[in-house]
Amino acid sequence: MKITALLVLKCDPETREPVILANVSDLSQFGKFSFYRSNFEEFIVFIARTVARRTPPGQRQSVKHEEYKVHAYNINGLCAVGFMDDHYPVRSAFSLLNQVLDVYQKDYGDTWRFENSSQPWPYLKEASDKFRDPAEADKLLKIQRELDETKIILHKTIDGVLARGEKLDSLVEKSSELSLASKMFYKQAKKTNSCCTLL
Amino acid sequence: MKQGPSSEDDCFSLLKQFEHVLESDPLIDEVGFIHPSQFTMLDKEAGFSNEFQPNNGTSSKFWNQDHKLGISTDILVQLCKDAKHVFLLALQEYKSHGNACDESQIKNISCSPCIPESDVMKHSQSVLLLSSDFGTAWNARKLILSKKDHLSAFTEELRLSGLILSNSPKSESTWSHRRWIIKMISQSFSTLQEIITKESELVESIGERSKMNYRAWHHRCWLVSYMTIEQVIQELNKSKRWAGLHVADSSCFHYRRRLMLKILESLYVKGSSAYDKTEARKIWKEELDWNEELVERYVGREALWLHRRFLSLNWIMYFACNHSDASPETGESIIMNEEIAIFIDNEIRLLDSSMTVPDTKFEDFQAQALHAAVYTLWLTKSIPVLWRMLEEKLGTEKVKCVLNTIAQERPSLLHHLVNV
Repeated sequence: MKITALLVLKCDPETREPVILANVSDLSQFGKFSFYRSNFEEFIVFIARTVARRTPPGQRQSVKHEEYKVHAYNINGLCAVGFMDDHYPVRSAFSLLNQVLDVYQKDYGDTWRFENSSQPWPYLKEASDKFRDPAEADKLLKIQRELDETKIILHKTIDGVLARGEKLDSLVEKSSELSLASKMFYKQAKKTNSCCTLL
Repeated sequence: MKQGPSSEDDCFSLLKQFEHVLESDPLIDEVGFIHPSQFTMLDKEAGFSNEFQPNNGTSSKFWNQDHKLGISTDILVQLCKDAKHVFLLALQEYKSHGNACDESQIKNISCSPCIPESDVMKHSQSVLLLSSDFGTAWNARKLILSKKDHLSAFTEELRLSGLILSNSPKSESTWSHRRWIIKMISQSFSTLQEIITKESELVESIGERSKMNYRAWHHRCWLVSYMTIEQVIQELNKSKRWAGLHVADSSCFHYRRRLMLKILESLYVKGSSAYDKTEARKIWKEELDWNEELVERYVGREALWLHRRFLSLNWIMYFACNHSDASPETGESIIMNEEIAIFIDNEIRLLDSSMTVPDTKFEDFQAQALHAAVYTLWLTKSIPVLWRMLEEKLGTEKVKCVLNTIAQERPSLLHHLVNV
């Protein structure tokens, strides 16, 4: 069980694409020479933005994607996104995301509304190590101030999050933030039906 | 390139370069095949600017930093062909001339025609790093090693096969070779305990990066036959955390069952004491409670339910029953007693709570219901009285619901398990 990536994004309805404020990802699953290593972070950022953008304030949603589940929680425009193993319990994941948003607000107040780039934030790495075991995240449930009754919306695929008529394939194709290598990689992986590349 | 009679200098320069890199860095612990486009990225990661080329001449073929070695896929095929060719020549030389030289001389003579043994070792290493399942190469090494009598030769062999596993973690020949080495060590030396512990740790670290690696876990199960009971109990404790973090991995629970089986077997050996049985009982109970915790936290994980089958049945047959010394024959019906009844009550409660499906979007809850149902049905095969208890506790409607769940997903299973 592990937390593959944690991100904090600013989702401003004025700016089209969410801005990454902080992120951390775990590359330890890839050997030194794994070809996936170099493109992995790009994919994470792409998917995080795609999901966060479609998570309105006050909403919580989870998307199943290959062997991961992507969870997103938006509170007043500040959005936490987590990439976890498929079997990391959904409630524990949101408990963690809630905590991440809490601590971020404590550390940065409202300054994030004027921030437009990613800053290193050590808590994120600590959190992804500590809450690797969902039992730790469950402990948070007891001390979290408000019991969040918001329903968690579940999607079986990323296409489920997208608007009617939108498809992940075309988003990848049109994206200006994915390198050519990544796009070719995506096409190839789809053709051979291989997994574990996140896209 | 020059044509004509084999000018070894030209034709095998790739192999020479490769073997030179290996010799100059004996601490290499990871090997991989890399696409040419990765060189720049790896250099950047290591902190080198574009102008500085650390490996002059070999910069686009081999990447070697921090004891890691990457081989460009551009040269891979040629290198592999060369290595095989040179190895087979060396092997032929070794077999036809025998190894007339004394071992100690080999270190001093660097290019005498009479050192076929070290050539075979050198070139077989090269070929196996590129093609880990080349049986002839492994056999050649076994042939030479079986004539050695110092432990260092075998530990060095463990190091090499570990290096090969870093690139080919599922190579059965490599795992098999490791078992051969361990057997050889166990026959002549007595330091097995530590080796077994290290071997077990190696499998766990490989299992972390290489998912669904049956061969690695099979290897770990094989080690159990060399463990003392103290070591078995230690292993059970040490590997618990990892198992708890990999609940979808059936192999690691299969390993735990192998360990627990060994504990169980030791109870039926002459000389086992009541203390041993108490200890074993405690371990079993802990495992059962822990498994229940996991089953409730990680909804729908089949590996956990499969593990529970083993735990429950053996609990009922060996620990909770009234047979004091004799082990029950299979097929003998189990005599109900209070302890077994309490246990079964709990299993029925577990089944009941698993049958509620709050939402169907992610299928985890549906899977949980199915696994719980199948588990219960499986138990009834050994404990026929369970049927009656289910009816009593849950009522006919719920029992029908359980059977329906199975009928929908696994109809053939229902037919097989229920003697209607």
